[in-house]
Amino acid sequence: MNALTQLGDGFVTVLTPMNMLWVVVGALLGTAVGVLPGLGSAMAVALLLPVTFSLDPIGAFIMFAGVLFGGLFGDSISGILMNTPGNSTAIAGSIEGHAMARSGRAAQALAASAIASFVGGIIAAVLVVFFAPSLAALATVFGPAEYLALAVFAFVAISAVVTDSIVRGLSALALGLAVAVVGIDGISGAARLTGGLPELFDGIDIIVITVGLLALTEVFHQAARRGIPDDHSILRAPGRPWLSRAEFRAALPAWLRGTATGLPFGIIPVGGSEVPTFLAYGTERRLDARRSNPMFGRGAIQGVAGPEAAGNATAGTAMGALLALGLPTSATAAILLAAFRQYGLQPGPLLFERAPDLVWALLASFFVGLVVLLTLNLPFAPLWAKLLRVPKHYLYAGITVFAMLGVFATSAKILDLVLVLLIGLLGFAMRRYGIPVAPMLIAVILGPLAETELRRALAVSEGDPVALVDSPVAASLYGLLLLVVLAVVVRTVRSRSRGRGALAGTGR
Amino acid sequence: MTTAPTTDPTAPTTATGDSFWRRRTGLLVPAVLLGAGVTLAVGTLTMEVPSTATAPGPQLFPAIAAIVCTVLAVALAMDVLRHPEPADTGTGSDPADVPTRPRADRRGLAEAVGVVVLFIAALQPVGWLLSGALLFWGMARALGSRRPVFDVFLALVVSSTVQLAFSAGLGLTLPPGLLAGVLG
Repeated sequence: MNALTQLGDGFVTVLTPMNMLWVVVGALLGTAVGVLPGLGSAMAVALLLPVTFSLDPIGAFIMFAGVLFGGLFGDSISGILMNTPGNSTAIAGSIEGHAMARSGRAAQALAASAIASFVGGIIAAVLVVFFAPSLAALATVFGPAEYLALAVFAFVAISAVVTDSIVRGLSALALGLAVAVVGIDGISGAARLTGGLPELFDGIDIIVITVGLLALTEVFHQAARRGIPDDHSILRAPGRPWLSRAEFRAALPAWLRGTATGLPFGIIPVGGSEVPTFLAYGTERRLDARRSNPMFGRGAIQGVAGPEAAGNATAGTAMGALLALGLPTSATAAILLAAFRQYGLQPGPLLFERAPDLVWALLASFFVGLVVLLTLNLPFAPLWAKLLRVPKHYLYAGITVFAMLGVFATSAKILDLVLVLLIGLLGFAMRRYGIPVAPMLIAVILGPLAETELRRALAVSEGDPVALVDSPVAASLYGLLLLVVLAVVVRTVRSRSRGRGALAGTGR
Repeated sequence: MTTAPTTDPTAPTTATGDSFWRRRTGLLVPAVLLGAGVTLAVGTLTMEVPSTATAPGPQLFPAIAAIVCTVLAVALAMDVLRHPEPADTGTGSDPADVPTRPRADRRGLAEAVGVVVLFIAALQPVGWLLSGALLFWGMARALGSRRPVFDVFLALVVSSTVQLAFSAGLGLTLPPGLLAGVLG
């Protein structure tokens, strides 16, 4: 019951006019950025960081909560109405969502998606409220070897999962590790790979890397596509923005199944919501095939409800993992980790003791933010799509201006602007040649943690590497990792042989 | 429009020397990886380690990263060499079943990069108001806007709104540059 009284205090903090304003502002900004193709909540938080310097930390984090969930509400809108998902997390839900929109049920698809995001988010938030403190207590038994195992797990799992080719995933990871090395070594004080530039002594800021990899890469991608006409027209969403009783009954189990699929993935560091959303899509599709009148392919409401709920459930529990373990399991969580550090706070087991008012206000703002977002999105989703009518060149010119402004305002270093440009170009090349950027982000974020824990573990064991796998937790994490890699290898080999068969069949 | 494909779509797709490299421009990424690996290796070997550092010291992790980078550069290069991209570039309008190479408008990209470079060079001497406007105007143009005069006004509105919001609203300073005296 302790959790409930503290959550109550959190609600008291959030439900003041000023903090409510931040929730609404965050929800609006998050949805807007989510609607825009290629940009998600991670970007929105990164760009907002400098703006929130003059706010108190509670106000800032309440706003970030709105942005975080707003991005997830928004990214399905453009996916359903235009078939251009606003973010990779919305791809799975957009397949059936766009099919529904094409058959004249756009409003219902948007409603199913908004309610799915709400259900997934709320259930995840409830679980975080009750289990984050015990998760934090559990985390205190984690030593250096266990944290290193978690980081290695995150590295390899995300590299294996986000792309068909594990070599490509690992290549992105290696680039991230290289970037993470730059700067003064925190333990010994040695300057590493700074080239003697004092500006690099603090390392390369995570905001520089996020803005470069996500925002500038997208802008360069748009510039390189200049002159290619978009064949995506925005479908209209006429009619009732609510669900009939039959639709509701069809969608309800899918919302709950999707949520159940998404919840564990917030704690497993595989880099966000892509995996659970596709898993939920696959589940709904298999269940649908058993029905007497299969709807998949023609716009099945379950195909929207499941993945969308999974995506938000993952985002919710990912916040729990960040707060309780200090472990960022997605890019958005990683930027939030950077945000915590900017305010001199370190997420992890001690955060609940050191800054309880902030933590509980943040958790309360999840609930408030989700309610605000549901009321913003259920009736007005088609209005948000109007944002996509702004000419693309103005949209992305504006994004460039805010990206450069955000980076310069954080550090006031011209060198950071140069780095953003270089990283943006690197990101463009990676995207052009099919290298995923998510492993690079995770490597930059968790690289320093992995290094510190590795050195601590080796220092304790006096250089004996057996200590790294000696504990049951670490050993089982490495075992689980081995299973993930094996599963991916089997999947790749299978799809390759199938692909070859298909090619032979068409006579190519 | 100046965005016609640079390759002749009727050109034969046999593996001539030219098309061999054109289909393997993906080697750029392993080259970057190798560069990172070598830089890390050199940086690790020439690192000045403080005498107070205890084992395992600051060189362990960069050394691991250097090895990982180099090994993956080789593996990725082999992957690219064995699986070249299709020789045809897509026309964009006709998503046929034939696999195509993504077509890139190099001019658009070069313009966008050039504008960012110009902005970075101009920010301190010229100040946010004008260089920010230049960034917006140039980006809009690089991305295909065809209304340069209207864009000038729009760009100035954007950059001055940002300046006002930041300096008046949030109390943060942006470089004033040339207009230092005017803005006060």
